[in-house]
Amino acid sequence: MEQQLNDLRQTAMAELQDASDMEKLTEIRVKYLGKKGSLTSLLKGLGSLSPEERPRVGQLVNVVRAAMEEALTAKTEAIKEAALEKRLASEKIDVTLPGRKAAIGHKHPVTLTMNRIKEIFMRMGFSIEEGPEIEQDYFNFEAMNLPKDHPARDMQDSFYITEEFLLRTHTSPVQARTMQKTEPNQPIRIISPGKVFRRDYDATHSPMFHQVEGLVVDKNVSFSDLKGTLEMFVHEMFGDNVGVRLRPSFFPFTEPSAEVDISCVMCHGQGCRVCSGTGWLEILGSGMVHPHVLEMSGYDPNKVSGFAFGMGVERIAMLVYGIDDLRLFYENDLRFLRQF
Amino acid sequence: MRASIKWLKEYVDFQEEPEVLAEKLTRAGIPVEGITYLGENIENVVTGKIVGIEPHPNADKLRICKLNTGKEELIIVTGAANVREGHIVPVALVGAKLPNGMKIKESKLRGEMSYGMLCSAAELNIDSKLVPPECRNGIYLLPTDTPLGVDIKPVLGLDDVVLEFELTANRADCFSVLGLAREIAVLTGGSVKKNMLNLREAGTEKAGSLASIVIEDQALCPRFAARVLKNIKVGPSPDWMKRYLEAAGMRSINNIVDVTNFVMLEMGQPMHAYDYNLVSKHKLIVRKARQGERLTTLDDVKRELTDEMIVIADEVQAIGIAGVMGGLATEVTDSTQNVLLEAASFHSARIRRTSRALGLRSEASGRFERGVDIVNITKALDRAAKLLEDMGACTVCPGVIDEYPGMVLPQQITFTAAEINAYLGTEISKQEMINILRSLEFELDTTDAEKIMVTVPTWRAGDVSRMADISEEIARIHGYDNISSTMPQGNTLRGRQSYMQTITDKVKDTLAGVGFDEIISYSFTHPATLDKLNIPADSKERSAIEVLNPITDDFPLLRTNLLGGVLETINRNLSRKNEDLKIYEIGRVYLPESLPLKELPEERLLLCGALFGRRQEMSWNTGRETVDFYDAKGAVENILEGLGVSDYQVARGEHHAMHPGKTAVITKGEAVLATIGEVHPKVLSAFDINRKVYVFELDMEVLAKEAQLIGTYQALPKFPAMTRDLALILPDTKDALAVMQAIKSKAGALLSEVRLFDVYTGGQIPEGFKSLAFSLVFRSHERTLTDEEVDAANKKVLAHLEKTFEAKLR
Repeated sequence: MEQQLNDLRQTAMAELQDASDMEKLTEIRVKYLGKKGSLTSLLKGLGSLSPEERPRVGQLVNVVRAAMEEALTAKTEAIKEAALEKRLASEKIDVTLPGRKAAIGHKHPVTLTMNRIKEIFMRMGFSIEEGPEIEQDYFNFEAMNLPKDHPARDMQDSFYITEEFLLRTHTSPVQARTMQKTEPNQPIRIISPGKVFRRDYDATHSPMFHQVEGLVVDKNVSFSDLKGTLEMFVHEMFGDNVGVRLRPSFFPFTEPSAEVDISCVMCHGQGCRVCSGTGWLEILGSGMVHPHVLEMSGYDPNKVSGFAFGMGVERIAMLVYGIDDLRLFYENDLRFLRQF
Repeated sequence: MRASIKWLKEYVDFQEEPEVLAEKLTRAGIPVEGITYLGENIENVVTGKIVGIEPHPNADKLRICKLNTGKEELIIVTGAANVREGHIVPVALVGAKLPNGMKIKESKLRGEMSYGMLCSAAELNIDSKLVPPECRNGIYLLPTDTPLGVDIKPVLGLDDVVLEFELTANRADCFSVLGLAREIAVLTGGSVKKNMLNLREAGTEKAGSLASIVIEDQALCPRFAARVLKNIKVGPSPDWMKRYLEAAGMRSINNIVDVTNFVMLEMGQPMHAYDYNLVSKHKLIVRKARQGERLTTLDDVKRELTDEMIVIADEVQAIGIAGVMGGLATEVTDSTQNVLLEAASFHSARIRRTSRALGLRSEASGRFERGVDIVNITKALDRAAKLLEDMGACTVCPGVIDEYPGMVLPQQITFTAAEINAYLGTEISKQEMINILRSLEFELDTTDAEKIMVTVPTWRAGDVSRMADISEEIARIHGYDNISSTMPQGNTLRGRQSYMQTITDKVKDTLAGVGFDEIISYSFTHPATLDKLNIPADSKERSAIEVLNPITDDFPLLRTNLLGGVLETINRNLSRKNEDLKIYEIGRVYLPESLPLKELPEERLLLCGALFGRRQEMSWNTGRETVDFYDAKGAVENILEGLGVSDYQVARGEHHAMHPGKTAVITKGEAVLATIGEVHPKVLSAFDINRKVYVFELDMEVLAKEAQLIGTYQALPKFPAMTRDLALILPDTKDALAVMQAIKSKAGALLSEVRLFDVYTGGQIPEGFKSLAFSLVFRSHERTLTDEEVDAANKKVLAHLEKTFEAKLR
């Protein structure tokens, strides 16, 4: 009987070895381990053995059964694995075909640049203020210390609607409006972004463009605060390695006034076409708020002082993205817009 | 303003190279825009005399000149027609270099050898405006007393460097060589050498008895002064004066005119010389021009004046436009014997308006617009008289006629060093402040321990009037670079943006997420655009604000809608073959209460979107579907969802630019949230667009009002839902929304959601009918539902739909 068991084991193992699919395995399982299977039949013959032999052979039957079960499981796994591998191999695709993208829209570069400027100043505690695009002459000019016939009005050739109303030439009127609606001498820290209009139309001038202007008024605000604030802005916007310099200038609404130059972002100060060989780019106008501007809006220059600054958003966007033609901003060519 | 280094060095000693000087000036607020090296790249060009001219044997247009260059005689073939024997001319020798890159070699011209070239002004890089008329077409003819064989550069003043200044409007004082010299002295540690004005007045007839001045309105002319010069000898100016004038960009005319120009450039005071004998009664009257009065100016143009302008007149007629240009009738000519030399100050705004109105800008008007130093007027007269006298061009009659009715006193300002340091954020010593101001020729009173009192120089009267102005003077000379950088102290303020800005950001994020590109178009529009949009005559969109002075005929109006700009953008993109577009703009339109404008108009922030072409980007095996009305509507629904706007109504709507059968209006209560539609074919063809375009318009302020940016959390369901599908056939006149609303109202409280999942016409569906398939989702928050109750609710719905919508189960 022992011999039979061993033979059985050998034949079964050999059959298992040759099996290559799940049907065959089932067949083998039934043939040997099933209710009518060979091993089961042998087990039934156990009763004919002597009581001494019975435990030993019984144990042997169990060993053979366990071995066969184990082999069957292993073979099942192996066949499943092989089948999976085969399936996976057959499912191979061309991974170099282009992906299916969801179309994502693009914000206008002016919006993106404006948003960055706003974020930088909001982190410094500035609030965003807006004002009308059609302005009164008073807010656009007079309150900015530009009385009628002031020669500096020429610098900002304006679109008039009536004697009294015009398209604002800068967002500075928001400064006066903000001061006039705030309680006198209370601290102000704002920027005013928005559209502005000037009567100029050529390769480097657009009749409409965007500005961000800022105003800080408080006790003891100094020119060095202006310098520090604008340097921080430049470094946030263009990177810490960009050089900043202030140059004396003239604006009717500030005194002292300063133009802010940054080292050319294209040539890193070496001199190139963009910076006309000077290594510097003018990006901001600024200055201490003219005492008369404070007075006109109900603030007392003996109690508070302030600084103001302004920049062209398109100019900054051109430097940040390397755009070389101002007109692209308003042509709205999709091939342009989709680059941002 | 242009000034040459040599001329500047007449008044101040400095060693700095032009570039270094330019940088110093620029960093002190006197911006130098350009540096020109005159005579740059001119080598081996000398003076030579033509000692013989012969015709060229083989060419009619060429001549063979024999040149004496002092050392040698040269044969040069020239094509110039203006040279004669005896002329002294610039000769480029063999081996010479010229600014245009030309190198001179021996050459054979039509068989004749030529050993050099005669030069024109252009070949020496001299602006032809600056040379005498006889030298403009041909070779530059030099004065007959020019030495031979010397380098041309010093002869023509080309050994000089010119600085070009782009001065700011406040620095009227720097529109003069002396003013610039003053700044250079401060920045280089030098001092200004002033002109000696030791006039020798001659004769006994006093100026006051020979001529008179009347100022009719002192507000228009605060000061007017004149001198009388006799025994005038009109002739050429000395070479040094010609060279300085040319370097400054002015042409030499004759000694009298040149001196007035020279003094204007030197001292910043424009002046004018009248032929004394031609001024009626030798009387100069400053008055307003009469409306329509005519005057021929020195440039030989007849000009019609208005009563806004100021003229200088004699008893008979206007003889000059004050501050702008003199008249031709009293011009100084070769036959002039006596001169009335005038210097004045005029109302700067008037001069500015006059010069703009006439389109006539002169060196004089530019200076009067900015304002001249009123104290300088008589000094300038003396300087001019002295120069002419020294040239032997006149004798100077004793005395000045000086009408100066309201003497202006110099401004005084008191401040402390501490105030300045607090304002600038600096620690500049009181002594440094004193030194800076003194070097700028402010007079100082420092007797008080704390307070400093300064008297502002008269030439800075228009610019310096308070402590802030003094701080600028100190800061710019101390150097902006030497001021430290600090951050504002004080209370921390909330940095924030308005709710509307947040809403706008949110909408832009949503639209970017669903594939829309943002455009920004001009705020201007054109009446034709309003026509193309089919806007009815009585619509608010027709009352567009007109711009008084539009820049081109393209943009006479301000926009009342965004759709025009959006459709123009589509047209532009189509013309550039950009297909498949989803765009939007958020911007203001301008809606006046009435026209002409009496108050600020309403500026309404609108959103307009448009789309056409493929729904998805074209990719392999996908992207063949094109967008339709429902994509536009979907975008609007995305926006509303992004803003948390719910419970809105959709209905058929009307819009002048949209397809009457494909227009929807979304409302909430009274408020119109959005209009969506297919663009009307007529409008499309007016904009030359041959695609179906779908658009939507939203009012940002209405959106902001309805938005619920932070929603409330809804608990997740604990019990399963049960779904029943209803596929119906019903007449195609029935709107889906009404059916959906009916389902909601009849299904009872257990219905949690209705979804339309199929719309179908054709096939087995009879003509005039359509199939709508809805999915009804039932759910309770308290228990699991039973089939019976759900089926009952579903049946109730169906019965109602059969009754009211003639619907049948499909």
